[in-house]
Amino acid sequence: MASPNKMHEYAGVRLLVFRVADLACAADASVVREILPAQQATRVPGAHEAVEGLINVRGRLVTLINGRQALNHPPENGDGPVILVEVGERTVGISVDAVLDMFSVAPDDLAERADLPGVDAQLVKAVGRRADMSFVLLDTDALLGPYLAA
Amino acid sequence: MDLSQYAELFLVESREHLSSINQQLLEWERSPQATEPVAGIFRAVHTIKGMAAAMSYSVTSDLAHRMESLLDILRTGDGEVTQDHFELLFRATDTLEQAVAASVSGREGQLDVAEVLAALDAATRDLGAAARRPSRSSMPLVAVSEGPGIWIRVQIEPNSTLVGARAAVVIGRMEAIGAVREVRPPPSAFESDEFDGQFDFQLETELDPEAIEREIRAAGDIKQVLVGAERSRTDVKQTASGRSRHVRVDLQRVDSMMDLIGELVTARDQLTQVSAARTAGDLDDLTLKISRLTSDLQAEIIQVRMTPVWQVFDRFPRLVRDLARQLDKQVEFRVEGKEIELDRAILDEIGDPLVHLLRNAIDHGIEPPAEREALGKPPTGRVVLSALREKAKVAIKVSDDGRGIEREKILDRARRDGMVGDEVETLSDELLLRVLARSGFSTAAEVSDVSGRGVGIDIVATRLRALGGGLEVSSEIGVGTTFTLQLPITLAIVRALTVEVGDERYVLPITHVTETLDLDSSAVTELDGRAGLMYRGTVIPLVDLRELVNVSGIVPDRRPVVVVQIGGRRSGVVVDTLTGQQEIVVKSFDPPSGTLPIFSGATILGDGMPVLVLDAGGLV
Repeated sequence: MASPNKMHEYAGVRLLVFRVADLACAADASVVREILPAQQATRVPGAHEAVEGLINVRGRLVTLINGRQALNHPPENGDGPVILVEVGERTVGISVDAVLDMFSVAPDDLAERADLPGVDAQLVKAVGRRADMSFVLLDTDALLGPYLAA
Repeated sequence: MDLSQYAELFLVESREHLSSINQQLLEWERSPQATEPVAGIFRAVHTIKGMAAAMSYSVTSDLAHRMESLLDILRTGDGEVTQDHFELLFRATDTLEQAVAASVSGREGQLDVAEVLAALDAATRDLGAAARRPSRSSMPLVAVSEGPGIWIRVQIEPNSTLVGARAAVVIGRMEAIGAVREVRPPPSAFESDEFDGQFDFQLETELDPEAIEREIRAAGDIKQVLVGAERSRTDVKQTASGRSRHVRVDLQRVDSMMDLIGELVTARDQLTQVSAARTAGDLDDLTLKISRLTSDLQAEIIQVRMTPVWQVFDRFPRLVRDLARQLDKQVEFRVEGKEIELDRAILDEIGDPLVHLLRNAIDHGIEPPAEREALGKPPTGRVVLSALREKAKVAIKVSDDGRGIEREKILDRARRDGMVGDEVETLSDELLLRVLARSGFSTAAEVSDVSGRGVGIDIVATRLRALGGGLEVSSEIGVGTTFTLQLPITLAIVRALTVEVGDERYVLPITHVTETLDLDSSAVTELDGRAGLMYRGTVIPLVDLRELVNVSGIVPDRRPVVVVQIGGRRSGVVVDTLTGQQEIVVKSFDPPSGTLPIFSGATILGDGMPVLVLDAGGLV
C-alpha cells in the first residue's frame, strides 16, 4: 500500500463502472456527464447500426450508441441506462446493461492493457481489479469517436 | 489587487477597441487628411495601453505605447502619413490583437513582437522626433507641503465593463503623478458588485486640473471628472435606479435557456391535452395561466437572443481591404443596414458564408483596374453588403459591379460533368445557383488561393434552408453579381408536414411543399431510367421515402405523394401517411457518420421524441 504522502500525490482515477453484456467496463468519470434512465431513440438513416439514433436530453439532441454493438455483442432489447460521455467537444450517449459502481483507484491498481478475449485491444486503456471484480477501462474516444462525423 | 477576474472583460473590451481601430484606420486610409480617425485611433490605443498596464500585461501595453508614440506625431501633424505608415499600423494592430489574446491566456511571453516594435520605433524616429517615452521619473515631483491637496471625484461610465479595473487604473495613474490619499470607497470595494463607478480621493500633485483630468480620462469610459470637488459622499447614491442596466451573459446559458423553454412549451402542450380530457374548471384556469406565461417567456427569450448584424459585419471592411490589396484590385466597400437584428444562432451561421461570398466577389467579380478602365467602368469596383428587413424576413445581399458570371462557360462545364442535359441552352439564375452549389465546382478560370472553388455554397444553401431561409443569385455579364441570403428573423419556427413511413416519422418544412395528392399507379412512369410521375403535363422524379430511408414492413395500398419544389426543380415524395401539420423549431444536430444527406436538422415533437427534418434540397 502506498504511503499517505504518495496517496496524496496520486489522488487516484475516478471511474464509473458499468456492465455491457457480461463484461464489466469502466470509463474515466471525468468525461461522464450524466446517467439517464433508458431512452427511446429516433433512428438516423444511413448511420452505423451501432448508432441507436437521436435522443432528447432536455431539448438537446444527442447521438445514442448501443454499448453492446459497439463492443461487438449482439444487441438485446433491454431497458438499461444511458451514460452521457464527452467525446472531444461533443456529448454522446452510450446505452449499457447496468451501472454498477463509482470509485477511485490508484494508478497502481491499473495494469497495462492486456489481451482480452472478445474485446478489441484498441478500445481498452487498461485493466483493473477491485475487490473480487476485474474490469476493463475503456477508451471512450476510441470506442465512440468512429460513429460520429469527422 | 488581484485583477485576474477582469481578464475576460479586458479581452472583450479590448476587442471592441481593436475593432474600432480597424474601422478608423480604414477610414483614415481613405482620407489621409482627416483628423478625426487618427484622434479616435489614438484614444483607442491609449485606452488599451491603460487597461493592459493595469492588468500588468507588459508586452501589450508596451506595444500599444509604441503605436501611440507614432500616432501622436501623426496626430499633431508633425509628420505626414504615408501608405507605409498605414501598412505598419495595420500590421501593428494585428499584432496588438494577438498580444491581447496571448496576455489573457498567460502566453504573453511567447509572443514575438520585436520586429513590429522596431518598425514602429523606426517610423517614429524617421518622422524626426524621438519616441517620447514619459517615464515616472520625469513626472513632476510631489509638493508635500501643500496641505491636504485637492479632492477629486470620478464617475466611470456605469454601463462600461471593467468598472472596477478602471477605477484601479485611475488610482494607479494618479499615484504616478502625485500622492493619493483617502480613496472612497476604498480600492478593495472596487471589485464588489455594489460599486457603481463613482469614487473620490485626495490628490497632491503639481499638475494643473486640466492635466489631471486628462490623466484620469485616459483610463477610458470616464463619464465625469470633478477636480476640486467638495469632499462629500452624501449625494453619491442618488441615482442607482432609473438607468438601463446591462449584464453580459454567457451565450451557452442563453442557448440552454432556449432549449429548456422549448421543453416547457412541449410540456405545456401535453398539459393542455390532459386538461382538455378532464372537466375541471380550476385545472383549466391554471392551464391557461401556465400557457400564457410560457408563451410570454418564449417571446422574451427570443428577444434576448436578438443581435444586430454589425457584430458580424464589422470585421468585413478590413477583410475586404486586405483581399483587395492582395489581389491588386481597387474596391470601395459599403455596408448598409448594420443595425438590423437577427437571432444570435442565425447570425452565427452566416459569418462564414458571407466571408466566402465577399471573397468570391473580390476575386472573381471585380476586374483589375486596367481592365475596368478599358471597359469604360470606373477603376474602383464596388462591393456592397447590405441587410434589409422585409416583413418577417431579413435579406442579406452581397453585390459587386464586376464582370458577372459567364454562363456559357459554366454551362459547358456543367454539360461536361453531366449536371445538365444537352437540351439546356441557357442557364437561368436558379439553375446557375444549382450548378454553383454543387461542391467542388469551380467557376474561376484559374483557381486562386483566396477564394474557394464553389465549395461551401452548397453548405450555405443547405444551412439556410434548415433555418427556413434560402439563397438566390442574379448575375449579368459586365454588370455584376448579387447573392441574396433570405433569413428568418427569429430562430426558425417553421410550419411543417408530418409524414410517416413504416413506424417512423419525419417532418418536411411546408415552404417547399407545393401539393399533396394520392399516388395513382397509372401516373407512374419512367424518367431517365428512374421512377417518374406524370404531373401537370410533365414528368417529375418520384422518390419513395421508404426506400430512401430503408424502412421495411407492409406497404399500405393507398399512399400519398408530397410534391416538393425548390426553385424550378420538383419531385414527388411517396410516403405511407400524412399525419398533419405543426410548428416546429429546427435544431441542428451532429449527424453520425454515414447519415444520409437528406436532412437539414431535427426537431422535438410534442411527445418529446426527436424527429428528423427532411431537406427539400436533398429530395429534388
